[in-house]
Amino acid sequence: MSLKPSRRAVLLALVSLALVAGAALTADAQKKGGILRVGNLGEPPALDAHWTTASITEMLTNHIYEGLYSLDNNNRPIPMLAESHTVSKDGLGYTFKLRQGVKFHNGKEMTSDDVIASLARWGKQSVYGKTLFSQVAEWKALDKYTVEMKLKEKSSIVLISLAVPNNFGAIYPKEIAEKFAPEVKSTEWIGTGPFKLAEWKPDQYIRMVRFDDYKPRNEKPNGYGGGKTAYLDEVRFQPVPEVATRVAQVETGELDFADDLNLDAYDRLKKNPNLRPIVSKPYYWLVAVLNKKEGLMTNAKLRQAWQAAIDIEPIMKNVAGGHTEFYRMDSSLIPPEIPAWHTKLSGLPWNERNKDKVKRLLAEAGYKKEPIRFMTTQEYKWMYDFALLSKQQLEDVGFVIDLQVVDWATLVKRRNNSKEYDAFTTGIGASYDPTHANFLTASWPGWTTDEDILKLQAELARETDQKKRQALWEQQTRQFYEKVPVIRYGDLFGLRAIRNTTKGFNEKTERVRFYNVWVEK
Amino acid sequence: MTVYLVRRLLTLIPVLAVVVTVVFLLIHLIPGDPVGVMLGPDATPAQIEATRRALGLDRPLYEQLFKFYARVLQGDLGQSYFLDRPVATALLDRAEPTLVLTFSALLVAVVIGVPSGIIAAAYPGSLWDRGLMLGALLGVCVPGFWLSLNFIYLFAVRLGWLPAAGYASIFTDPLAALSYMVLPAVSLGFNQSALIARISRSCMLEALQQDYVRTARAKGLSQGAVTWVHAFRNALVPVVTVIGITMAILIGGAVVTEIVFNIPGLGRLIISAVLRRDYPVVQGVILVTATAYVLINLAVDALYVVIDPRIRYE
Repeated sequence: MSLKPSRRAVLLALVSLALVAGAALTADAQKKGGILRVGNLGEPPALDAHWTTASITEMLTNHIYEGLYSLDNNNRPIPMLAESHTVSKDGLGYTFKLRQGVKFHNGKEMTSDDVIASLARWGKQSVYGKTLFSQVAEWKALDKYTVEMKLKEKSSIVLISLAVPNNFGAIYPKEIAEKFAPEVKSTEWIGTGPFKLAEWKPDQYIRMVRFDDYKPRNEKPNGYGGGKTAYLDEVRFQPVPEVATRVAQVETGELDFADDLNLDAYDRLKKNPNLRPIVSKPYYWLVAVLNKKEGLMTNAKLRQAWQAAIDIEPIMKNVAGGHTEFYRMDSSLIPPEIPAWHTKLSGLPWNERNKDKVKRLLAEAGYKKEPIRFMTTQEYKWMYDFALLSKQQLEDVGFVIDLQVVDWATLVKRRNNSKEYDAFTTGIGASYDPTHANFLTASWPGWTTDEDILKLQAELARETDQKKRQALWEQQTRQFYEKVPVIRYGDLFGLRAIRNTTKGFNEKTERVRFYNVWVEK
Repeated sequence: MTVYLVRRLLTLIPVLAVVVTVVFLLIHLIPGDPVGVMLGPDATPAQIEATRRALGLDRPLYEQLFKFYARVLQGDLGQSYFLDRPVATALLDRAEPTLVLTFSALLVAVVIGVPSGIIAAAYPGSLWDRGLMLGALLGVCVPGFWLSLNFIYLFAVRLGWLPAAGYASIFTDPLAALSYMVLPAVSLGFNQSALIARISRSCMLEALQQDYVRTARAKGLSQGAVTWVHAFRNALVPVVTVIGITMAILIGGAVVTEIVFNIPGLGRLIISAVLRRDYPVVQGVILVTATAYVLINLAVDALYVVIDPRIRYE
């Protein structure tokens, strides 16, 4: 049976209407208004993005401030407050055109004066800013909307350094950037972001409200950047230090979103029809950082023996509470979520579980069962768990481990003193560029001073050809497993939970963002 | 009595001086550093040193101690490293939740503890006595966090009767404040009621064996009148002491309850301050708590005179 042309036309019209209506409904679904209540681990030490590398500060400040660049879905740099940039033929001059008409939360227009002052401060305090500005010869405004960076030597890290979300190059009004010395945290919080700070009541909440004069980019949302829309009237970040309480509050609907949950809660959350657990990747790869400045671990053979001894999968499975969804066995030093730098090299001495090799290396190291001081903390359960399991495995093959359990404040102080430990636990977050790998620097605790490693890192910072850089990074990865500056375990993932009434949340970014998110209640 | 009170108030000064000095030294001498925590895991030693200098933490300990004394004498408790506000403001912000929780929990503890102890003593060896004292034993033995988490699971997650956690001010939203306070007050009050019940029982047992009680019974008074009018008031002094101590402990911060129920009180403040090594806040909270402790003890001592006219302070 065939339809008559007139009927066909009517049907087509109806289908078209339905599609249009559907599209309209979808558009309507992104509605403005409402309060989103987010439960997180605790209080930020500051809301000054330049000042601290704390991840909670990163998460919060990225709603208030913006940098010249941001990261896309593949964690590559894309412009944010910058309109565009050009690079001089010799590769030493970067000229940035700024977007016009962008306003700060105090109503003032953002201009090159603000950018110059902010990034000058960032360059003196931030981990990434200091690295970048060590290569900068001159940093100046050319006109109201143009700034220029002149480099001492060719650099591959200009854009990525301006784009990293942690300890980032947030643009503040000039008056604030100049008022607070780099080592003094800013206590005035004015940015250009889609949300502005309304109220901060420590241990109760941080209220951010929509900035109505926010000027979004025209592109679609893309990773951390692109077009940002603040649909919510308010985001209320509530510190809930007890993880079981965070879980209960997202179950009851007192929270719309809860971050950093205990992996044990996964099964319970999965059964709740009103919410959805989210596996957050990448989180950290677990690491035992070895003291290469003094003590037992200056002996490379001993470090290699540790690396050869550990059986990583059971450790990871245990740390992940038995859930295979929460860990990944991967030897790359940068996770697959950053595809440009994820390596797939075969034949690396990772997860070898080779007892004969361990015995040989211990003998070659001249190890006489001296206790190895391994520092960890119970404040982060996963650190304690993997340290404890490592101790058992290492002692089975002839090591003697003196596991020192301290609180986090003690650990972060002691790890700066080379006399106080041989190894400590921590997690390595995503490095968006090989040059950001702190465990390959001489300045970070553990002190990687190996000349070959540092030389390759310096070459990686200078080389601007992407293919050559990838080859250098693969070379560095092989060198890493040979020199063993730190012990790389597996990738651990985090757990979040989101109520079904919260829409538009981008699950693919490592850190949470609440622009482009709306609520349906 | 007045001379006694003045003398007791004057002893507050050396007590607080010792407490403040010991706490200052303890918190500074344990390992750990606020700057390392604040600057985050990727901070370099050079950054940490620069910020330590900016906060004056590189100065010798005795210099920091004398500066602290000088500030306290001027009524200034210093500035919190983490909270970006004066310690006094941080303490004031936390006072209301802690006081509300203290009095609510104390009310629950007294309402459960005192009658339980009295009934148990009035019928020693009975099923009532055994049942109530078993309850008191459970109150002492059950860890506060376990009870709190189970209350949350049952009454908030499963039944949905009450919010799981949070706090609302009684001055802005009394109904919400009440709903938030029920679970923490009951779980904390139940724990604290155990000691009050045990003490009430033993004091009442002792009082009920006194000659005046026998006389009262011989006069033909009812069991209720003998228990409540004659024995109870005489048994009250040690009970008031325990209630006073309980109150002082709670004002110092019902740490676990405040953390589990996410109540922004003094207990939660001091725990986070210790973990972050926020020295000025730790010192401030201890100073306030020690003062409260001494003053509550003094108030309890003064109350003895009201309860028992035979007591005289020379």
